[in-house]
Amino acid sequence: MSAKGRVIFSLALLCLSLLVAVPAPAQEEVTSSIRRYREREASTGYYEEYEVKPRRVRPFVGVPGVGRKPFPYSPGAAEIRTRTYLADSHRGLEFYAMRRCEDCHVAEAKHSHTVRGNVTCRQCHGGEPIASINHYFSPLNPIRRHAYVCAKCHEGANASFATFMVHEPPAAAAATRKTFPSLYYTNWFMYLLIVGVMGFFILHSLVWISKEFYHQVMEKKRKPEDERKDQNSAL
Amino acid sequence: MREKTRILRFSVFDRLFHLFIMVTFLIQAVTGMGRLLYATTWGKWVVGLFGSYETATAIHNTVGILMMIAFAVHIVYVLFKVEWRTPGKRLFHPDSLVPRFQDVVHLGQKIRWFLGLGPPPQFDRWTYWEKFDYWAVFWGLPLLGVTGLVLMYPVGASRYMPGWSLNVMLLLHRAEALLAMLYIFIIHFSIGHLRRGMFPMNECMFAGSVELEKELKEKPAWIARLQEDGRLEEVMVPGPPTWYRVMYFVFGYAVLTVGIYLLIVIINYRNYIEWH
Repeated sequence: MSAKGRVIFSLALLCLSLLVAVPAPAQEEVTSSIRRYREREASTGYYEEYEVKPRRVRPFVGVPGVGRKPFPYSPGAAEIRTRTYLADSHRGLEFYAMRRCEDCHVAEAKHSHTVRGNVTCRQCHGGEPIASINHYFSPLNPIRRHAYVCAKCHEGANASFATFMVHEPPAAAAATRKTFPSLYYTNWFMYLLIVGVMGFFILHSLVWISKEFYHQVMEKKRKPEDERKDQNSAL
Repeated sequence: MREKTRILRFSVFDRLFHLFIMVTFLIQAVTGMGRLLYATTWGKWVVGLFGSYETATAIHNTVGILMMIAFAVHIVYVLFKVEWRTPGKRLFHPDSLVPRFQDVVHLGQKIRWFLGLGPPPQFDRWTYWEKFDYWAVFWGLPLLGVTGLVLMYPVGASRYMPGWSLNVMLLLHRAEALLAMLYIFIIHFSIGHLRRGMFPMNECMFAGSVELEKELKEKPAWIARLQEDGRLEEVMVPGPPTWYRVMYFVFGYAVLTVGIYLLIVIINYRNYIEWH
């Protein structure tokens, strides 16, 4: 083949390669993008057959509630964050089998469902392996939480009902201002109302009662003398 | 016929409303505090007195609905009391509980008197703290009622509002209830009963009337206004019979005891109170 022929041949190959080679990221069209996976489900008629990975975390976008910075969380925090998408959320934890839920989840173990309703962790979170809440098949995934978890006790629970935060953040914590602002500001409003009303009226009644008591004592002290004076003047 | 030495202050309806709210408020306070402190031994004991957690909740819910009905009845009663021919005059009349600018002036004069800089204010029929008592209950009842109703039917309520707003409602319900208890058991009790001349017990809300001599010191402007209008004789009534006095003294002190006991519990278990 001549030099000219080689050039034409390689150009033709290049053109053909554009038609043949699909870029690598697009090959995950079935497993990584929920939208495309849904299309596949609709076209094949097979539903929920494959585990779907979450979308890639874009480094310059950030996560809601964490902050819009170039690198909003540390690699360690990112490791924890990705745990909210795992099929086994406790994957790789040392001595996991020897631990109890409340050993690590101290605050989560003290909420009204446990303390008042005698609900155990597993009744909502499921047995081992406990899936991450945002994992596609987790019963606690917001898309099915109301039906798979809440409705077990609360008959007729809907998706709105399922947005009630069972493990609610501490209302006074600074972080709550971003994660649950209405709770945070309501808490401050009620706190200031109670402190204001009680502070003012406790002081008000204390001064009032003691001042009246003082007047009473002084009048009692004065009375005998006055009477004697009156008697003297009468004499 | 007993001598008419007392001036009428509260009608039978007023006293019945007060009696009703005394009883229901205490039931709500006990059933509510028991469940709020359910993680403690005290909470378990109190809830146990009612049978179970569910029974205590059922009592709390039923009494809550009764309170809301009574509140509606009270509003109808108040609407009938307003003279609609001249509402402006009537609403801001000294006999009305609607706050006036005069109340702010009275508060200023009271603080001046506290500091020893002037004479005490000349109160008319309702003082500013009495009006505050009334309006505190007036805004507290619907707030507790609405949040309570939402928490009573969470599934139904979440059709009309996002489920997470129930977290906020729960906080509001608990914080408002706590404020109400603290206010009643500390401020209302001490102003009503601990003050000079009131001490063993302020009988006004049960007897409906007060000694004229006492009222001349407490509310001089009211007596002066009645004398000016020549209506003082109309509102003079005889004192309550002895058997009635014995009854309300026993009842009143029972209520005071429960209230102070709950206050001690609140202070004692302050670290276990989670209002959210």
